[in-house]
Amino acid sequence: MPAAFLFAATVWAAAIAAVVAVIASILFLRTRNFFYDALALAVTEIGLLLLAAGIVTGAIVGHVAGALWWTWDPRLTSALVCWLLYAPYLMLRAAIEEPSQRAASAAVVSLFAFFDVPLAVAAVHWWLTRHAAPAQPAGVAQSAWWSILPVVMLGAVLSWVRLRREQRRRAADAERRSAQTV
Amino acid sequence: MRYVRQIGVIMVKDLRAELRTKEALNASLAFALMILLLFSYTFDPTQEMMREISGGLLWIVFAFAGTLTLNRSFARELPNDCLDALIAAPIPASALFLGKCFASFVLVLAVELVSLPVFGIFYNVHWTAQLPELILVLLLGTWALTVIGTIFSALTVNIKLREVMLPMLTYPVLMPALMSAMRITTVLVNGAPIGADELDWLKMLIGFDVIFTAVSLALIETVLVG
Repeated sequence: MPAAFLFAATVWAAAIAAVVAVIASILFLRTRNFFYDALALAVTEIGLLLLAAGIVTGAIVGHVAGALWWTWDPRLTSALVCWLLYAPYLMLRAAIEEPSQRAASAAVVSLFAFFDVPLAVAAVHWWLTRHAAPAQPAGVAQSAWWSILPVVMLGAVLSWVRLRREQRRRAADAERRSAQTV
Repeated sequence: MRYVRQIGVIMVKDLRAELRTKEALNASLAFALMILLLFSYTFDPTQEMMREISGGLLWIVFAFAGTLTLNRSFARELPNDCLDALIAAPIPASALFLGKCFASFVLVLAVELVSLPVFGIFYNVHWTAQLPELILVLLLGTWALTVIGTIFSALTVNIKLREVMLPMLTYPVLMPALMSAMRITTVLVNGAPIGADELDWLKMLIGFDVIFTAVSLALIETVLVG
């Protein structure tokens, strides 16, 4: 079932996005170069998008395979937990007006989320596999590397587009500000 | 030694301010008791049901009530620009953070220690069966809650949507610690000793505390100063 590969592929793409985001966040906190902030924003947003697509696909595949939409499959559930971990990153950014405060706060949240991922994934797997009877993986197959690659490349292209857009927006913002001060 | 005294000064200051006004403590306590009561309407509190969900119920109450206290931790310093004065004070940011952490820790723990007997009476649970282990889990879980809550309280203090953002940030990060605490508490409240499974969860809880205390101490300067 080709759709089953998509979940594993999006998880890999999201994991790569999380690593890029945390490196960019650390670099921002060290250098205060706003390019890294824009990069962290772009990859986090695209990572969340791909992961959401993966979770939805996983649920649909599970529904096709066993009539239930959500069987608390450990992989799907931990993906959802990671999604919830990173979603506040975007909400926090939307709530802060001042650019440098927004960038620093967002970088801190990105670091916390990154350190939490391994613990959260381990906890979800323990919780779901040790106590309840392990549900049959909902048609979520292990995928070969060649099925991961296109999704990762798609993510990279989307992130690049998002990054360019963010940089254009910031340039326009800076111009407007300087015009206002004049 | 100086550092310990600085932490102590901040902690005592916060506790004194809170005990005089009781603004967070009263709200938090009333909220905890109300959720405990409300839960009795969501399910039939029979013996078997309680055996399965008591830990989860307790920690949801603690986490929800705790956020009310933690919301005030840094927000209390906003009037009269007290926060700027605290940041400018000749103490390291980490001492300020730890002082506030310990103060919130005491307050949240106090709410928990009042909620526990009430929970035992309402739901007929003999929660004292494994008291020393339960207190250990209570201390570790509450520390996780206060460290994460305090650092995000500092992070969101200047945001207009502060009250909304704090739980949104805190609960997802806190999830592994809450799951550990829930699982171990359920077992202990039912009178069973800590087994191999619970030992793993306990390690997870301790690891969570250590990792996030370290990360918070490393980042608090950035959070407060920008």
